[in-house]
Amino acid sequence: MVLVLALGDLHIPHRAADLPAKFKSMLVPGKIQHIICTGNLCIKEVHDYLKTLCPDLHITRGEYDEETRYPETKTLTIGQFKLGLCHGHQVIPWGDLDSLAMLQRQLDVDILITGHTHQFTAYKHEGGVVINPGSATGAYSGMTYDVNPSFVLMDIDGLRVVVYVYELIDGEVKVDKIDFKKTTTSHSAH
Amino acid sequence: MMKKRVPDWLNSSLWSSNPPPSDDHQNLRYSTTTNATATTTSSTITTSTPSTEDRSVDPPVPVPPPPMIEDPPEPQRIQDARVDNGAKDHNGTSGLPSADDISRQAQLMAMLSRKVIDILELRRIACQGIPDGAGIRSAVWKLLLGYLPLDRGLWSSELTKKRSQYKHFKEELLMNPSEITRRMYSSPSYDTDESKSESRGLLSRSEIPHEEHPLSLGKTSVWNQFFQDSEIIEQIDRDVKRTHPDMHFFSGDSQFAKSNQEALKSILIIFAKLNPGVRYVQGMNEILAPLFYVFKNDPDEENVAFAEADTFFCFVELLSGFRDNFCQQLDNSVVGIRSTITRLSQLLKEHDEELWRHLEVTTKVNPQFYAFRWITLLLTQEFNFADSLHIWDTLLSDPEGPQETLLRICCAMLILIRRRLLAGDFTSNLKLLQNYPSTNISHLLYVANKLRLQSV
Repeated sequence: MVLVLALGDLHIPHRAADLPAKFKSMLVPGKIQHIICTGNLCIKEVHDYLKTLCPDLHITRGEYDEETRYPETKTLTIGQFKLGLCHGHQVIPWGDLDSLAMLQRQLDVDILITGHTHQFTAYKHEGGVVINPGSATGAYSGMTYDVNPSFVLMDIDGLRVVVYVYELIDGEVKVDKIDFKKTTTSHSAH
Repeated sequence: MMKKRVPDWLNSSLWSSNPPPSDDHQNLRYSTTTNATATTTSSTITTSTPSTEDRSVDPPVPVPPPPMIEDPPEPQRIQDARVDNGAKDHNGTSGLPSADDISRQAQLMAMLSRKVIDILELRRIACQGIPDGAGIRSAVWKLLLGYLPLDRGLWSSELTKKRSQYKHFKEELLMNPSEITRRMYSSPSYDTDESKSESRGLLSRSEIPHEEHPLSLGKTSVWNQFFQDSEIIEQIDRDVKRTHPDMHFFSGDSQFAKSNQEALKSILIIFAKLNPGVRYVQGMNEILAPLFYVFKNDPDEENVAFAEADTFFCFVELLSGFRDNFCQQLDNSVVGIRSTITRLSQLLKEHDEELWRHLEVTTKVNPQFYAFRWITLLLTQEFNFADSLHIWDTLLSDPEGPQETLLRICCAMLILIRRRLLAGDFTSNLKLLQNYPSTNISHLLYVANKLRLQSV
């Protein structure tokens, strides 16, 4: 039972001042084992804040991040799953499933987490699952102003992942979940 | 008011903690002296038979001496932490046992094999000490703690009932929240769909009832309770790892030690969850350890397999008498630990006013400094493991109840070293009491017993 927090695109301080208060009250240290962050934090203070929630923090570089030394992509293994991380501005067209699937095959991971579009999506295709946690602060993106703050918490338990989606809609936190099971046979090569 | 003098027999050199080597009455069971001689005369056997209600009043004849040969196998047995195959091995390797020891063992076995067990008789005999072999102690403790019913015919049904109840507790209470939520909300149709649809597309979202998500702060949330419990679980884990680090049974890298530690942890976690009033307090692991050790070293295979379940229920029973010691709010109340310590103080004053005055008034050694650990941990930390098992035999079997007996034994402990205490100041007395010197357990228990007869 491993809890992994996935979030990104906070754009603090340029486009948003802070995480929504309701999110902050839920994010307490001691519950989460890993944090993966798609990028665009943008400043070191946000990095330090995330570090207080959980010491195991993985970040990839977004185009507005002030820390230039984050990697472009990252892969890690948690339990039985391989996770891949990338900000997503490098993959064009932005948010396109086929291109993201290409990246997923390149990284050879089961779950790919990217951001940049500031919209939560969760796609499934033959190779695995692509998750976009959206923007945790609800910052505007280059494409739209209409952004609901959202982030994702994954509960990895053996071959099963339960993805909890936290969204702030009209001032209330709404939580949904998505179940995903990894098939024991490796994904078919097409 | 006339000052109560210490009776002469107490001042006899017999009761000092370093028994003189020439004294041939000193070879009581867990004797730490190495030059005791085994004396078995027919006369001692006749005086020792249970026809006499209480022990002999005549001081120089203490409890009938079991053979000294019990001693060497004992510490090794604890080291190896393996089940001894009953009294036969003992007797085989070490030569002639005392006729009395056989007789006590035979008596106990005879009583245990009767159809309905006479609990009063059992208590009386067990009070004198239970021999180590043939799983007698394990069965007797289970009877004394009320786990096994007195009617032998009901044993197997009771045992299966209780053991399955424990298994049920384990399944319910030791599950982590992922499993719980999975079982609550799993739908069989989902899994079949999953295998069919290999196509791409948006993953379907489903709603969560009742705020059951991992970051939930709701009081009824399974996740929230889990995180609150995890603190206690961590503490239990730490304490279990520190229990008896010198014994292979409990500590070390072996698979055996690790599985024993896991069992101890499970028992303590389930107890904490079932008793939200007391939860877990440091020290409960020490009370649990001897119970588990005794039940796990039962020669009967089935009992060993279910030792964890048996230990849980016996632990609950044992702790029920002493729970109030662990509850912080009750510390200052009539049933709390402070008042128990005051009772000990009173008891000492009754039996040995000179010592009491010296300790509490002159040298100002507050009994809380030493008695707290003696009482809450039931003397497990003051003596070596084998000795504390022997003390527990008496504690559990005394018809007066363990609390009263415990106080008498503590009082006896003080009286036995009175010479040193009277000669010492605050520092040396405190040091002595917090590291109680090793002593002859049988005669400690004898003195404790005498205090009962003598109390006004």
